[in-house]
Amino acid sequence: MEVSDLSAWFGSNQALSGVNVSAQPEAVTAIIGPSGCGKSTLVRCLNRMHEEVRGARVRGKVLFNGHDIYDRDVDPVEVRRRIGMVFQKPNPFPTMSIMDNAVAGLKLVGGVGRQELRERGERALRAAGLWDEVKDRLNHPGGRLSGGQQQRLCIARALAVEPEVLLMDEPASSLDPASTLRIEELIEELKREYTVIIVTHNMQQAARVADWTLFLLDGRVVEYGPTERIFTNPTDKRTEDYVTGRFG
Amino acid sequence: MSTELRHRFHQELDALESEVEELGLLAAEAVRQAVDALVHRDDGRIQRVIDGDDDIDARYMDVERRILDLLATQTPVASDLRLVSALMHINLHLERVGDQAVNIAKLARATAALPQQETILIRLQEMADVVVRMIRTAIEAFTRRDLELCQKLPLMDDPVDDLNRGMYRQVVALAADPAALEWGIRMNVVARQLERVGDNAVDIGEQIAFLLTGQFREFTDASHPDTPL
Repeated sequence: MEVSDLSAWFGSNQALSGVNVSAQPEAVTAIIGPSGCGKSTLVRCLNRMHEEVRGARVRGKVLFNGHDIYDRDVDPVEVRRRIGMVFQKPNPFPTMSIMDNAVAGLKLVGGVGRQELRERGERALRAAGLWDEVKDRLNHPGGRLSGGQQQRLCIARALAVEPEVLLMDEPASSLDPASTLRIEELIEELKREYTVIIVTHNMQQAARVADWTLFLLDGRVVEYGPTERIFTNPTDKRTEDYVTGRFG
Repeated sequence: MSTELRHRFHQELDALESEVEELGLLAAEAVRQAVDALVHRDDGRIQRVIDGDDDIDARYMDVERRILDLLATQTPVASDLRLVSALMHINLHLERVGDQAVNIAKLARATAALPQQETILIRLQEMADVVVRMIRTAIEAFTRRDLELCQKLPLMDDPVDDLNRGMYRQVVALAADPAALEWGIRMNVVARQLERVGDNAVDIGEQIAFLLTGQFREFTDASHPDTPL
């Protein structure tokens, strides 16, 4: 996935300016930066969620498998199927059953039989590390699960449509430490098959889970490189000051 | 995130750095005093070196404990992480220098009744002068964040290694007199202690270079085939 000279606006407010970055496949890329630096906007531009906001616009390219997802003939729904997203707050359909939650996206796509729905739902729940905890109560409402389980259910829902890229916007920020650890372990497993891009406020989380880290400031990329280098020997003074807590 | 807590973290890092620098000067002084006491057969000074090591050990333990606290509570990164790592290593090297001073002091006491040999004493004093200067240079390089200065440490160490290697021949020359030989053998161990002080100074220089550049490399490699024994 390659971002080329990407800028984004909310009305007249520019949120991103000329972002260039190439996300490595089957690896985890973390986007870090202070509040309001454009992290969430950047990640939302990667699957055309940004344009859902009234007055929002984008300029530049996001190349996915060599094709610009912003080309006029590209269907945003298809983009979002192949580039899935998990949000900060778990948002399962509260009264819908666990299994129905897991396959909700698949049902929307349509053309999938009941048996296949069930198989792909199970596969997604297993991939999200939730299967063993819910296999005996698949018909229970998703809203009855704990916060951490609900977030993994949302990850399962994103995985069920078999995306290639998974975008995660602060996926553990509303979870307790144990659930956060479970999500981080899951991210480690998911990168074997998916390209994962995660927005996080928690720099230790970025250091733990990401192979690559991008530091964004005022809508611009300050530094992008292997996580180990960013957290031991960053090249830009602003990155150094941010990760060491001297500003931000 | 630039909160009072983070400010206190950086203040604690500054304080630890000052304490490690003080420890360096104390350890260097202990080596100087130990060799002077050996040359002048001054038992009072020997005892002061031995007693003084309790202070060095207490300071080492205090810095070590505070560094562990910082690692546990502040998860330092980038230059802060490199500084914490360097402080941890330098602290340990300096504690060892303190131990080496004590070893020299104890050897001085153990040989107090044996005949001395002037040439060997001059060699030991020369070694001591250089290694004490090396420790002080390493501390100065740390304070000034001076990469060039710490890269001079291996060059300063070369004559120390040469003097240490040459000591064996000086001692063998005493073979005819058992008492002088016994003293010489002990002085060979003193030379070895001083040589280790020099190595500790070089290792401290490597830590400072890592702090400044983010790249760790050994200035000298004992496993290299060209390195003499």
